Amino acid sequence: MSRRRERLGLGLLGLVSPVLVLCIWEFASRLGWTNPVLLPSPSQITAALFALMTSGAIAGPLAHTAGLFVAGYVLAVLIGVGIGIAMATSETLYGLLEPLVEIVRPIPKPALVPVLFLFLGIGKATMLTLVVLAAVFPVLISTFQGVRGLDPVLLETARTFQVSRARTIVSIILPASLPMILAGMRVSLGLALVIVILAEMLAGEDGIGFRILDLERSFQVRDMFAWIVVLVAMGGALTKLFDIAERGLVPWRGRS
Amino acid sequence: MSAMDGLAGVREKRSSRRSGPNGMDRRAYGFLLLAVLLSFWELSSRAGWIVSAYWPPVSHIFAAAIAQLAGGEILLALASTLRRAAIGYIAASVAGIVLGIVLARNRVLRYGLLPLIEIVRPMPTPAVIPPLILFLGVDDALKIFIVALASFFPIFSNTFTGVAAIDDTLIQTARTFRTSTVRLLARVVFPATLPAIAAGLRTATSLCLVVAVLSEMIAGSSGIGYYLVETQYAMRPDLMYAAVLYLAATGYALNRIFLALEARMVPWMGRS
Repeated sequence: MSRRRERLGLGLLGLVSPVLVLCIWEFASRLGWTNPVLLPSPSQITAALFALMTSGAIAGPLAHTAGLFVAGYVLAVLIGVGIGIAMATSETLYGLLEPLVEIVRPIPKPALVPVLFLFLGIGKATMLTLVVLAAVFPVLISTFQGVRGLDPVLLETARTFQVSRARTIVSIILPASLPMILAGMRVSLGLALVIVILAEMLAGEDGIGFRILDLERSFQVRDMFAWIVVLVAMGGALTKLFDIAERGLVPWRGRS
Repeated sequence: MSAMDGLAGVREKRSSRRSGPNGMDRRAYGFLLLAVLLSFWELSSRAGWIVSAYWPPVSHIFAAAIAQLAGGEILLALASTLRRAAIGYIAASVAGIVLGIVLARNRVLRYGLLPLIEIVRPMPTPAVIPPLILFLGVDDALKIFIVALASFFPIFSNTFTGVAAIDDTLIQTARTFRTSTVRLLARVVFPATLPAIAAGLRTATSLCLVVAVLSEMIAGSSGIGYYLVETQYAMRPDLMYAAVLYLAATGYALNRIFLALEARMVPWMGRS
């Protein structure tokens, strides 16, 4: 009971400081303490955001960014979990793929953005490849660690009952290593979003990343901040969604 | 164990279980696969299967890498990137550890500052760069700030949760002996949180290089990120691939150095 009250109190108290900062910001720009060209007031940004939403201009770039992110992320998770389990369960595949993974993994992924643009041309396929490359390794590594860290008794029990390999993977290995897989997916979530925005900025075609950089270069600062608000909301919403999904999938997590 | 550890940590455990020569054999296949892929690349370019200016033979890339090293330009670019990454990283470490400990121990500050931190956290780093260009320009101040901002979050949140997980007995004992708050934080809380802090620092180590490169790409005039974009525009793929090689080697070396330092400074790490 007291815990719930404390959480409610934290929720209300948590609003105090952001509201305070917004008020100070608003007053500072009303009083002319800040340069309106560089830093518009929160009310101006809200107005720009509102205009963006009512005119429907928000849909195109948002769909571009979200579509790229979702497609890349889902692909990366499927590939990462697949290869991770394969490498953890098969010695041959482990030996075959380990050097390759260890060589590609430490490359800072933003460095691959210009490389792939040159290589595959600027387009959807390239950007998708980039997102997958950035997001796949944390999932792969933690899946691998999760499967390798499984209690051997589980696997030996399955073997005793002559459970088929495919079934062992689906009904034992996958659920048991789910917490680790999700931990890797959480790291990938942020990475994938970073790469999507960066790729859009460097490709200069469409998407929220492109809009933000373009608006900054043409000094349309209010719209730029409005887009940043959209992006923060998107990032926050994705994290929240992930939290909810994780709680639903592994309800026993975080209770230890 | 985190996603940053790689396969190595598990591998060591494994090799003690299995016979050594067999494992070596299996990895040999992996290196064989690499060699086959590389020679396939070399061949496809030499024999003209893929006719593209962006598909130089591997040997050209290695030649470019050696020439870059002799010319020294790549080392200069790397040095300026690493300098920015290091300054930002150190600033982020100090801020992240101090704020993490203070916010975890002080309720008023926690209610005041944590919501603000939580609002800024989900923002993808590249998106912060354009507005910051307006305030900080495109020079070192911008890049160092961005590196610091990006590295701050993992250090802060690991420290914060680390402090929250400290055994309460430790703190009660210190309080029984009427230890002053500053002394309590410095001599009890900080050492007890060190493994968690180290985990945050490790994540930040790979992150700071990534972010330094990224900021140089968007708003660059020097450094390896700028070099990459420049060689892309100049249509010199061999130089670009070679630069990526150096960058990968740097990232790998940083991680190794960190692990070595960690083993020395926090010897009780990972022995739980």
